[in-house]
Amino acid sequence: METLAVYVPRLITTKEYFAPGHRACMGCGEALAVRLVCKALGRNVIIANATGCMEIVSSPLPYTSWEVPWIHTLFENAAAVASGIEAGIKVLRRKGKYSKKPKVVAMAGDGGTADIGFQALSGAFERGHEFIYICFDNEAYMNTGIQRSSATPFGASTTTSPAGKVSIGQATWKKNMPAIAVAHDIPYVATACPSYPFDLMNKISKAIKIEGPAYIHILSVCPTGWRLPADLTIRAGRLAVETGIFPLYEVEEGKYVLNVDFPRLRPVEDYFKLQGRFRHLTQEVIAQIQERVTAEYTRLREKAARVRDNE
Amino acid sequence: MVKKMIGIEGSFAIAEAVKLARVDAVAAYPITPQTHIVERLAEFVANGELDAEYIPVESEHSAMSACLGTSAVGARTFTATASQGLELMHEVLYVASSMRLPIVMTLANRAISAPLSIWTDHCDAMAVRDCGWIQIFAENAQQAFDLVLCAFRIAETPAVFLPVMVHIDGFYISHTIEPVQLLEQEAVDSFIPEYRHPYPLDPDRPVTMGAFGPPPIYTEAKKAQEVALRASKAVILEVWQEFSLLSGRHYSPVEGYEAGDADVLFLIMGSFSETAMVAIDRMRAKGQKVGLVRLRLWRPFPVQELRQTVGKAWVIIVLDRAISFGGRDPSVLKSRRRFIP
Amino acid sequence: MIEIRWHGRGGQGAVTSAELLALAAISEGKFAQAFPSFGPERRGAPVLVFNRVSPNSPIRARVSVAHPDIVIVLDPGLLYITDVTSGLKEDGILVLNTPKSLVEIRSELSGPWRLAVVNATSIAREMIGVPIVNTTMLGALARATRIVELDSLTEPILERFGARARGNVDACRKAYEETETGEPAGIVPKRPKIFEGEELPTWQELLPGCVLTKPGSARQYRTGDWRSERPVWDHQRCIKCGICYLFCPEGCVKQTKEGYFEADLYYCKGCGICARECWTEAIKMVEE
Repeated sequence: METLAVYVPRLITTKEYFAPGHRACMGCGEALAVRLVCKALGRNVIIANATGCMEIVSSPLPYTSWEVPWIHTLFENAAAVASGIEAGIKVLRRKGKYSKKPKVVAMAGDGGTADIGFQALSGAFERGHEFIYICFDNEAYMNTGIQRSSATPFGASTTTSPAGKVSIGQATWKKNMPAIAVAHDIPYVATACPSYPFDLMNKISKAIKIEGPAYIHILSVCPTGWRLPADLTIRAGRLAVETGIFPLYEVEEGKYVLNVDFPRLRPVEDYFKLQGRFRHLTQEVIAQIQERVTAEYTRLREKAARVRDNE
Repeated sequence: MVKKMIGIEGSFAIAEAVKLARVDAVAAYPITPQTHIVERLAEFVANGELDAEYIPVESEHSAMSACLGTSAVGARTFTATASQGLELMHEVLYVASSMRLPIVMTLANRAISAPLSIWTDHCDAMAVRDCGWIQIFAENAQQAFDLVLCAFRIAETPAVFLPVMVHIDGFYISHTIEPVQLLEQEAVDSFIPEYRHPYPLDPDRPVTMGAFGPPPIYTEAKKAQEVALRASKAVILEVWQEFSLLSGRHYSPVEGYEAGDADVLFLIMGSFSETAMVAIDRMRAKGQKVGLVRLRLWRPFPVQELRQTVGKAWVIIVLDRAISFGGRDPSVLKSRRRFIP
Repeated sequence: MIEIRWHGRGGQGAVTSAELLALAAISEGKFAQAFPSFGPERRGAPVLVFNRVSPNSPIRARVSVAHPDIVIVLDPGLLYITDVTSGLKEDGILVLNTPKSLVEIRSELSGPWRLAVVNATSIAREMIGVPIVNTTMLGALARATRIVELDSLTEPILERFGARARGNVDACRKAYEETETGEPAGIVPKRPKIFEGEELPTWQELLPGCVLTKPGSARQYRTGDWRSERPVWDHQRCIKCGICYLFCPEGCVKQTKEGYFEADLYYCKGCGICARECWTEAIKMVEE
């Protein structure tokens, strides 16, 4: 049986290209995201993975969870390695030495994307390689033990932005990577979350067809680092979307589409109270965050509305 | 097979070699004194003289990283750098050799900041001494041309599958115009067969490259790598032998000059050895029994050959273009104890 | 010098236990060491932690402990998936968290070493409110081995746990009271092989660059051992929607011929996402 029917009126392949036996934490949202991404990517793909949780848990020699060609080299260079793969295949195809035309995909965490791999990513976007870059954002350096990154949200307690007597935890606002990707004028940018699996897989399918670079930013709930019970991974992701903290949208050729919109957002506190990393937040700080989230969501909605009005 | 002598700058001679090798991909970032090599390659690509992808990366780190990608899908890959650029790609060099990707790189040897200096020394070379690459030093433009050609053949030999670095002294070779004999395309085509990675990244045969190494396997992996690097010397000798039949120019891991009966020997790597020959000729004319040992193959280190060439000399004077801060000797000197009892 | 090896699971606090033990020993004027063995495994996976304690001389050895005097096991399930007695000295002692009695355990596990048992999970549930047994097992260790005084453990625990410290100290004390210690069993039959050691490739066998050519070979690797709860499907309630399949991070939920779903327990880590997300509440997590 290759597909199975689910209530959601779609079909999904039962093929797994990210094999079980991987050593991700139980309830890992990133492992789920990778599994779904791989389903959508299918077989005709080459993946360049940055150092990070997914690399470590999926490839301890002599085992591999990957059913598709996969390469890991370093932390900050996934986009550069992917550039090379794409260019290499291009020239080999031209010379008749490579038959397939696989989609090249770079994968990295938020640290490998927004911090240390930022330059390589920007370079690859600017050069216009035909590839998909997927950022699995679990909002801190989880692989090394929950240290803050520039993608850690305001107020989150991590091991290097700990909440303390005179600290609210992370004191800076999350770097807006999708906006930075959009600023590179690449043809396709999207956000996704495995709590919305079909939306996620649709976006991957769409990105496969894009000529040029595509960027997909996936919120990947980390029960270990966010300090929440492993079974709440999906719920936490859903709440991130329903509170407007992590809106699901696409930017195609610069045009914004809000994929899941809510007439009324849930209060951010609903999302925070599940997670130990926000436990210390005072009502005052929560109100501050609420204000910012609402404002940003409103701006995003306006951008999407402008597109609708023009069409 | 052999073309007539032409006047050409060292960098351009290297670019000619890379073109003749029908390289598939070049990923490079500009840095003095490497620029002429990659500029000329970019021109070749732009003019359709070389069918390759030129990836104008945004840093040397990405240059070598992109090379990992092109090489891993089975594309013949070349890059060039120098000094700070080499330092920026430092960690990637280890990955290239450990993952056994036969990339060829020219290093236009240059000093390392600070203060900023674009001029020649070997501090950059010494900083990557232990990165697991095969490393070869050229002394002039002809050698640079020849050794870069040979580098592709050596690197891609299935028993080797290691990256090769060809060192040329910045300016003294890179920017010097001198006579060079190029080779015909057919001759090079017969000398360098098509590159075939045995397990390329290919959806038809999915492989995992760069898996994580728990301690027990890491040790095994490093042992395998070390054995492969040492074993590469036999292939290097074979390739140079074959190249001599093709070109009439012969290369050895260690080469002497007036070394046979010398009491005093200079030990030198790179272009400086040719200058030393001038000095030796003068000293010999005065009846002084001096000679020269030129270390061509830097890694794997040719212990035996060096021992043989040194012969019965009483004194060895090492002229090293590098400094090892706080160490007793510069790097080349450190190797001395291995061949002098 | 006494060498100790802890067997726990990622996230159970084995590293903390070893640290607290070292701090307690140092506070008694002894020399001590605590260090973990890191691997790719994450929360739930078996992990090792080591201690060395010496009454009067500095400890120089900086290697993992291969021949421990004491082995202490935090999770009862580990007994069946890993050879916890590997290298344990003949006059050593094995300290177990188990609901089973000394006699029952003796029938399952036999060797020349002494054995100590305590139901730490039940004590931790009662005294701390959660089944995290790392401090509880410190009490058992103190009782069974006298490696440190019970009182020496109090201070480090109070310091480490802040608001939750009291329960941990009480659990530690209660375990000290309840730990049962048996004598060596003498010569015993060989234990059945319960753990298949990984056969790792040698340098001659590795492909150049350590390329792996068997896609998905991790399927050989059992992660089901990490589980402390398993999902059970109620077919009366199941509407065969497949949401459990969709959300499983392991991809180990499979559809049966009848169209129902079940988890492949070889891989299922027991995260409980399927049970939480099931629309009809057809899945329950039950303890292993």
